Amino acid sequence: MTVSTDQHKEEKKDVTFRVFRFNPQVDSKPYFDDYKIPVERGITVLRSLNYIKEHIDASVSFRAFCQAGICGSCSMRINGLSQLACTTQVWDVLAKCREEGIIKIEPLRNLPLIKDLIVDMDPLVDKMRHYSNWVDSTMAESEMGKKEFLVSEEEFLRYDKATDCILCASCVSECSILRANKDYVSPAVLLKSYRMNVDSRDGIHDLRLAELVKDHGVWDCTHCYRCQESCVKSIPIMDAIHGIREDAIECRGAKDTSGAKHAEAFMEDIEKKGKLVEATLPIRTNGVVWTLQNLLPMAVKMIMKRRTPPPPPLVKSSKGIKVFRAMFREMSEHVKQDQKSHKK
Amino acid sequence: MKRYAYYLSCINESMTKEVDRSIDLWQKDLGIELVKLHESTCCGGSNLDYVSPKHFALVNGRNIALAEKMGLDLIVSCNTCLMTIRTAKKKLDESPELKAEVNELLKQEGLEYRGTSDVRHLLWVLVDDVGLDTIRQKVKVPLKNYRIAPFYGCHILRPSKVLGHDNPLEPSSLDQLIEALGGQTIPYEHKNRCCGFHTLLVAEEESLNVAAEALEEAMASKADFIVTPCPLCHTVLDGYQVKALKQAHIDNSIPVFHLSEMVGLALGYTAKQLGIKRHMVS
Amino acid sequence: MKPFDVVVVGGGGAGLYAAMEAMKTNPSLNIAVLSKVYPNRSHTSAAQGGANAALANKAKDDTVEMHIFDTIKGSDYLADQDAVDVLCSEAPKIIRELDNIGTPWSRMDDNTIAQRPFGGAGRPRCCYCSDKTGHTILQTLYEQCLKKGVIFFNEYFALNLSVNGSRSRGLIAMNMKTGKVEAFPARTVIFATGGHSKMYWNRSSNAAGNTGDGQAIAYRAGIPLKDMEFVQFHPTGLRKSGLLITEGARGEGGYLVNRDGERFMARYAKEKMELGPRDLVSRSIETEILEGRGFDSPAGKYIHLDLTHLGADLIKSRLPQIREMSMQFEGVDPIEEPIPVRPTAHYSMGGIDTDNFGRTVMDGVYAAGECACVSVHGANRLGGNSLLDILVFGRIAGRMAAEESGKFEPGIISDAELKEQLAATRSNMQSSGHFERYGALREELGQTLAINVGIFRESSLLQQGIRDIAELKERFKKVRVFDSSDVFNTNLMQVLELKNMLDLAETVAAGAYAREESRGSHTRTDFPVRDDAKWHKHSVATLVNGTLSLGEKPVTMGRYELQERTY
Repeated sequence: MTVSTDQHKEEKKDVTFRVFRFNPQVDSKPYFDDYKIPVERGITVLRSLNYIKEHIDASVSFRAFCQAGICGSCSMRINGLSQLACTTQVWDVLAKCREEGIIKIEPLRNLPLIKDLIVDMDPLVDKMRHYSNWVDSTMAESEMGKKEFLVSEEEFLRYDKATDCILCASCVSECSILRANKDYVSPAVLLKSYRMNVDSRDGIHDLRLAELVKDHGVWDCTHCYRCQESCVKSIPIMDAIHGIREDAIECRGAKDTSGAKHAEAFMEDIEKKGKLVEATLPIRTNGVVWTLQNLLPMAVKMIMKRRTPPPPPLVKSSKGIKVFRAMFREMSEHVKQDQKSHKK
Repeated sequence: MKRYAYYLSCINESMTKEVDRSIDLWQKDLGIELVKLHESTCCGGSNLDYVSPKHFALVNGRNIALAEKMGLDLIVSCNTCLMTIRTAKKKLDESPELKAEVNELLKQEGLEYRGTSDVRHLLWVLVDDVGLDTIRQKVKVPLKNYRIAPFYGCHILRPSKVLGHDNPLEPSSLDQLIEALGGQTIPYEHKNRCCGFHTLLVAEEESLNVAAEALEEAMASKADFIVTPCPLCHTVLDGYQVKALKQAHIDNSIPVFHLSEMVGLALGYTAKQLGIKRHMVS
Repeated sequence: MKPFDVVVVGGGGAGLYAAMEAMKTNPSLNIAVLSKVYPNRSHTSAAQGGANAALANKAKDDTVEMHIFDTIKGSDYLADQDAVDVLCSEAPKIIRELDNIGTPWSRMDDNTIAQRPFGGAGRPRCCYCSDKTGHTILQTLYEQCLKKGVIFFNEYFALNLSVNGSRSRGLIAMNMKTGKVEAFPARTVIFATGGHSKMYWNRSSNAAGNTGDGQAIAYRAGIPLKDMEFVQFHPTGLRKSGLLITEGARGEGGYLVNRDGERFMARYAKEKMELGPRDLVSRSIETEILEGRGFDSPAGKYIHLDLTHLGADLIKSRLPQIREMSMQFEGVDPIEEPIPVRPTAHYSMGGIDTDNFGRTVMDGVYAAGECACVSVHGANRLGGNSLLDILVFGRIAGRMAAEESGKFEPGIISDAELKEQLAATRSNMQSSGHFERYGALREELGQTLAINVGIFRESSLLQQGIRDIAELKERFKKVRVFDSSDVFNTNLMQVLELKNMLDLAETVAAGAYAREESRGSHTRTDFPVRDDAKWHKHSVATLVNGTLSLGEKPVTMGRYELQERTY
C-alpha cells in the first residue's frame, strides 16, 4: 500500500461557452450568447453551465437533475455532438475544439425546441407507447408476486446492455433518418423494442414485431451507426436493430416486407453467383410497378451513360463458384441444426 | 512495388466501373500493385450479417483467407464492404468456435482463415503506406483553384470500434489527401454524415432527404465538387442527385468524384480516361 | 378539468408504483401522475445497490424474521415494529412482482434472482441488477404505467395543496412549459416526492431536485413531519462531487483504508468491518479524518475505498457504473487505484408522518417513499431498504387511495386561489427590493447544515445552524428571480425549491437541537449515548400559525425489546 500523492494539478483557463438561445415568447429566431468564464481542470460542462446560470445569466435554460450520468436530463449538443453535459469534461472538449477555446452548446436535434437547450421529449414517449415498449407479462396479474420467473444468465445477457438506456435521446438527436422523417421509430425505441422482444417473460413479441416492420419502422434504418457512436452508455444500438431484423426474417419470413426482401436478396445472390445482381434488386425489393415508376426516368440517362448494371445472365459468377456454393449450402445445414437445437 | 490483394466490390463491377478503371490507371505510378481477387464474393452489404450471421462469417472469412493465402493485406475501395469485412474479421478473431466452424468448411477449397491479413481501405493505403510526401511529389496537375468538399461516408468511420482509422467526429485522412493533391478542403458539417444509400430501396424519400441535405450544404459552402471514397455514397450523391434535389426543391447541381478519380486527375489522367464522363451529374 | 380520483405527486419508484397499483385496484378511476421531471429521470434511477428481500435464494436459511430484526436493530430501535413487519413480509412478494412485470434482475446459477450482502444485514438478501438496480426498476415501472394508460403531467411543479379547513380540495401546480398555474381538483392526493437531503447541497449525493417539495407542501398545509433530525450520511461519496459509490462496492468486498494503509473499520466494527451499518461507517470515516489519518487534497479530506484486489473482471461485470463514475468524476480507474471518498448526505429518514397505510392526518392525503416517514427506518436506514420502502409503501398508498377515493368529494379550486398562487409565485420577479442571488443562499444553506447539523452535532453548533437558517429565510424574501419568462422558467423553479429546502431545514435543525441523545444517524457529541428513558420516541414538527411547533409520538414496539446496538 502506498500513500498516493495528489496528482490532480489544478489548472485554470478562460473558456467561452457559445450558448444557443431561444425564448419563444420574445425571440423570432434563435441566436447565440457568449459567456467567457474561468474553468478549472476536472470541471464538467454542466458545472460550467450552472456557474453561468448562477453568476452571469439566470435566464439560460437547460435541464439537469442527477448530475451523475444516470437520469439522462442534461443531454445537449456540445460542439456538435449530442452527449450528457454532466459527464463531459470541459478539458476533453477543449482538446477537440474547432475554434480554440470556444465550446458551442446547442439543444438536441430531431425533437421540438421549447426554450434554449430544452427540447420536448413527448414525441419519444409517444413512440414508446406506440411500439409497446414494455413487458406484457405472460403471467396473469392475479398470479403475480407468488413466484419468480426462472431466467437464465444467457437470456439476461441478451438484454442487459439494452437496459442501460437512460432515454437521454442523444441517439435520437444524431439519427440520420429521423432528420429526414420525424415519424421514424428512432434508435432508442428500437433498442427498447429489441430488449422487450428477447425477454421470455413477455407475451406480445409477435404484435410488437408486426408494428416494427411497418413503414417508419426497423427497415428504415440506414446503418449509419451515428446512434451507436454517440450513445452515452456505449450500448451497441445497431446490434439491437440488426437483432430485430434477424428476428423479423426468422419469424415473418423473407417475403414479408420490402426491407426483408431486400436483405434476403443478398443471401440469394451470394449463393447463386457469389455476386450481387444489382439490376434486379429494385424489382425484388419493391416489385415491378414501383421499379418502373421510380427508376424508369433515371434509367434512360443511365443507359446513355452506360451506367446500368448488367442483367442477371451477364453478371459473371465469382471464380470457383461451385466449391463456394457447396460450402455455403453446408453452412445452411449448420444453421438449420442450430435452429433445431435452439427450439429444443 | 508494394503488393496488396484487392477485393472486387459488386458495385464497382456493375454500376461504378470507373472506380477500378481509374485505380488501374495510376496504381503503378504510386508504387503499389493491387492484385485482384477474382474468387472473392459479395460481402453481404451490411445485410447478410443479420440475415444469417454464420454465412456472413463464412463468406467474409473466405474473402480474407484468399488474401491470407497470398500473404497480402486485403484492400477495399467501398466503405460498406470495408466495414462489413472488418466486422466479420472482428467476430472471427473474437470467437474461436466460429473460426473453427468456418475453417472446417474452408478446407474444401484449401483455404484457412488465420487472422493474419489486415483489411484496409484504399484511402488508408494512400495516406499511410504510399505517404502524403510521395503523393505530393508525384502530382502532375495540382488541384489548386479547386474547393473540394470531402464526403467520408459512414462505414469508413463508424462503428469506430471496427474501423478505428479516423476520429469519426473529426475525420482527417481524406482532407489530408486532398491537400496533398494541391486542392483546398472545405470544412462543412456533412463531411462525416450519411448519404442515405442503405435505405434507398426501402425508404427512398427519407434517403433522398438525407442526401439532399448533404448536397445542399456542400453547394452552400461553394465547393467545386464533392469527393467520396465510397462508390455507394457516389451512387446516391451523383446517381440520385437530380431526384434528391428536385424532391428538396433545390435548383442547382454539383459534380461528385470518386477518390480514385480525384487522384487520377492530379496524376495527369484525363476525365475521359478516368471514366468521369460516366457520371450522371457533370 | 375533470376532477381526479387519485393525483400522485412525484414520478419516482413510490409514485409510479402507487399509480400502477391504483390502476390495478380500480381501472375505471381517473388517475394522474404529476412530476417536475419526466418520470424516468427521477432519483430512484440513482439507487445502485439493490432492494432487500428474504427470498432465501442465496442464503437458504434467511427468513423474513431476520430481515425484520436487522431493520429494527439498524434503526436503533426507533422504527415502528408493526411497520417493519409490513415492510419485510411484503418484500419477497414485491421483488417477485417486479420480476413478473419485467425487471431485469441479475440471476444466480439456478436462474433465480441474485442476492448479495449489504451493510447491517445478517444474510445476503439484497436483490440487484448489476449496479443499476434503481434505474431498471424505475424504467420497468414507467413502462408499466405507460402500458396501463396512467395519465402523466410531466414537468409540472407542485406548489401547494388547496385546503379547506382539514380537507384537501386537491393540488395546485405550475406547468413548466407554459408557466401557467393549474388546478388539480382531486379526491385523493399521494405525495411521493422523494427526499430532501439536497439541502446539504455540495455535501449531498442527491439529485438537484431532491428538495423535499412534497414534505414542504404538506408542512405548510399543517400536516406533521416526523423524525426530521435523522439524516443519513452515506459513507462513500466521491470526494469532489459528493456523488455516491454504492454500498454494493463494499458488498462485493471493497476495503476502506486510511493514509496509513490500515483497514480502520477493525477499530469500530470488528466483526462486520466495512459492512457495518451506514451511520457507524460514516462516523468511523469522519473520525479517521478528524484525527488526521485521512488524505488531504485541494478538493477536501478523504479516505480510500480500495477495490483493486477484486480484479478487473469482477469490477467490470458487477460494478461497471462505479468504475465509470470514478473515472468521469475523479479521474480514477478503480481497477488500478483506490477511489477517494468521504461521507455525503444521502437520505432523509424523516418525512411526512403517515400510518402503515400511507395515510396522513388529513383525509384523502397520503404519502409514500422517502418523502414519508412510516417509520420503518427509525434513526438509521439499512442499505437496500430504501428501494424496498418506496416499492412496498408506494403500492400500499396507491391501493389505499384507490379504495378510499370514493369516500371523499373532490373540492373545487377557485380561480381566485389560482390567481393568488400565481401572484405569490411570481412575486420575486419584481426588481425593487429583490437582489439576493438564490445560488449564494443555497450554497450557504448547504454550508451551515454540513458544519452545524452534520455527522457530529453539538448544542452550540446547532444553535448557530438555527440562527443561520433563520437569517437565510429572511434574506430569501429578497431573492430575485432574474428570468422573467413564462416558458420553462428554471430560475423560478430553483427559487421555489430553495424555499422548500429552507422550510424543511428549520425542522431538521430544530429536531436535532431538541433531541439530547445520540441515536442512529443523529450523533450529539454533548450527549454521546442513547437515552431511551427520555428519547425513545418520535419527534413531530408541525407548522402552527406560521410557527414551528415540536411534539412527540410514541414508538410502536413489538417482539423486540430495546437492546444495545453493536456490530
